[in-house]
Amino acid sequence: MSALAAITTMAQRELLNIARSRSQLYSSVLTPLLFLVFLGNGVSSGLQPANLAAGNFTAYLVAGTVVMTSVFSSTFSSASYFRDRDNGVLRLLLSTPHHPRVILLGKSLAGLAIGVAQAMVVLVAAAPFVEFEWQYGVAPGFAIAVSAVVLLNLMLTGVAQAFASRIQSMQGFHLLMNLALFPLLFFSGAFFPIDGLPVWLRVMAFANPLTYAVDAMQLAAYAVGGEGFIGLPIDFAVLGTVAVLVYALGLSRIPRLTHSGQ
Amino acid sequence: MEHPGPAIAAREIFRDYGERRALDGFSLEVPRGGVFGILGPNGSGKSTFIAMLAAMDQPGAGELRVLGEAPSRALRARVGTVFQESSADPLMRTAEYLRFAGRLFGIPGGTLSQRIPALLERFGLADRARDPVSSLSGGMRRRLEVARALLHEPEILLLDEPTTGVDPEERQILWDTLGEARGSTTVLLATNDLAEADAACDHVAFVQAGRVVAAGTPAELKQGLRRDAVRITWPGATAEELAVVAGWRGTGEILRSEDIVHVTADDASALVPRLFELAGREIRGVSIDSSSLEDAYFRYVQRRVGGSK
Repeated sequence: MSALAAITTMAQRELLNIARSRSQLYSSVLTPLLFLVFLGNGVSSGLQPANLAAGNFTAYLVAGTVVMTSVFSSTFSSASYFRDRDNGVLRLLLSTPHHPRVILLGKSLAGLAIGVAQAMVVLVAAAPFVEFEWQYGVAPGFAIAVSAVVLLNLMLTGVAQAFASRIQSMQGFHLLMNLALFPLLFFSGAFFPIDGLPVWLRVMAFANPLTYAVDAMQLAAYAVGGEGFIGLPIDFAVLGTVAVLVYALGLSRIPRLTHSGQ
Repeated sequence: MEHPGPAIAAREIFRDYGERRALDGFSLEVPRGGVFGILGPNGSGKSTFIAMLAAMDQPGAGELRVLGEAPSRALRARVGTVFQESSADPLMRTAEYLRFAGRLFGIPGGTLSQRIPALLERFGLADRARDPVSSLSGGMRRRLEVARALLHEPEILLLDEPTTGVDPEERQILWDTLGEARGSTTVLLATNDLAEADAACDHVAFVQAGRVVAAGTPAELKQGLRRDAVRITWPGATAEELAVVAGWRGTGEILRSEDIVHVTADDASALVPRLFELAGREIRGVSIDSSSLEDAYFRYVQRRVGGSK
C-alpha cells in the first residue's frame, strides 16, 4: 500500500473540494487585486511617495500583495481541517492504514499548490499593468519570484497546519492566524520600504520571515540594483530554512479527534 | 492470513481518560463469522473498545488481539469500521467518496471500478452514484458508510451504533444487505438497541461501566428468565412494595428503571391481578410479553432490586 498513492489521493481530493468552493477561490485572488488597484493608485496619485527606489507605488505594492494573497490562501485552505473534523471525515482519514503524517502531507501539498497558484495569478495579472524592471531578465526574475512564493507558501502551510491541529474552532483559528500574520505582513516591506524605518521597527522587520519573501520578489521584479534591499542569497537562505522548519513542525502536529479525548 | 483462533480476543483491558475510567477489566472473545453484539448504555465503553480494535486508541493495560495480532495501522486493511458519527464527505459525490476511501485503503483503480458499482447496487444507492453526499438522507448515508467499510473486503466489520437515527425501513434494508456479508465477515455490532441485537446477533455481550457483565448466545442469556415479561409503569413503587412482589410464588427478576418496573413471571395472568390488589391506584399501565433479550439485559445491566426464587 503506497504512501505516495495516499498522498496523491488526498491532494486530489483537496484540490477537487477547493475547486468546488468557487466563491472562496475567486475571492482569494480578487480581494488582493482590488487592494492593489485601489490602494496602489490611490497612494501613487494622492500621496506621490518620493522615497521609493524605482517605479510607482502600485509596482512596489505587487510583491506585498502576492504575499498577502498567500496569507489569505493558506488561511482559507486550512478551513478543510475544520471541515473534516466537523464532518467526521477526519475519523475516516485517521482510520486508514496510513500514518497520519501521510494524510497531512497530501492535504498540505494541495494547500501549497493552491496558495502558489493564487499568488502567481495575482503576480501575472498585475505585471502587464505596472512598471516592472525585471533587472535579471523576465524569465529568471519570474523564476526567482516563483521560488520565493513556493517557500513562502510552504512556511504558511506549516503555520496554518500547526495552528489548525490544536485549535478546536474555525473562528478561533482565523482569529489566531490574523493575529499572528497581519502584524508580520505590515513589518515585511509589503506596504512600505523598511530601510527608512526607526531601528526598533527594522529589527522587527529583519526578524520577520515574510520580509525575505517580499525582498526576493522586489529584487526579481521591481528593483533596479540592490541598494536598500537585503539580497537574494540571504533572502533564500532565511526563507528556505524557516519554511522547511515550520513545515516540518506543521507535519509533526497530528490533528486530534474530539471524541473521548483522543 | 487465516488464523485458527477467535476473531477478537480481549483480556482485562483497562483505559482511563484523565479521571474517567472508560474500560475497567474488559474481557471478551468474539468467534469468527456471524454477528456479535455488544450491548450497553451510553458511556459503557463500547465506542472506546471499537476505537481500540480499529487501532485508533490503545489499551492502558491488558491484552488485545485482532485476527491473532495486536491492533496496528497495517491491520486496518483487514478491518472495516463504521463509526457512530458520519464520516462521509458531504462535498463529494457518492461514488467519488467510495473511490476516495478505496484508494486510501490501497485498492487498485480497476478493482474499484468493479466493486463500487456492485456495492452501490447492493446497498440501493446505484441511482444516487453521481449525487453529492450532502443530498443523501440519513439512512442512505449510513448505507453508504457500510458500503465504504466493506469496500476493501475486510475480515472483520466493526459497526458502532450504525442505525442510530435511522428509520425502521432503512434499518431493515441495512440489515438485509448486511446479512449477505455475515458468512465471510465477522461483524461486531455495538448498540443499545436491544430489539435489533436480538434479531441480528448470533452472540451478545452485555457491557456496563467498562466491563463485560455477561456474554453468550441470545438463547443462553435468556435462560433462567421466567416465561412472561411484565412491564409495569409504576412511578411510585416503593422498595417495600417491590419486596412484596418478589415474595410471590412464580415471580422471577424484578428490575426498576426510573418509572418502569420489569418483572419476569411464570404466569403473568396470575401476577397482574395481585399487582392491582397491591397498588392498583399507582399503576399507570401494564404490558405483557414473552421474555426477550431486553429482559436478559435488564437482569444483568440494570440495578437489581429483587431476587428470583
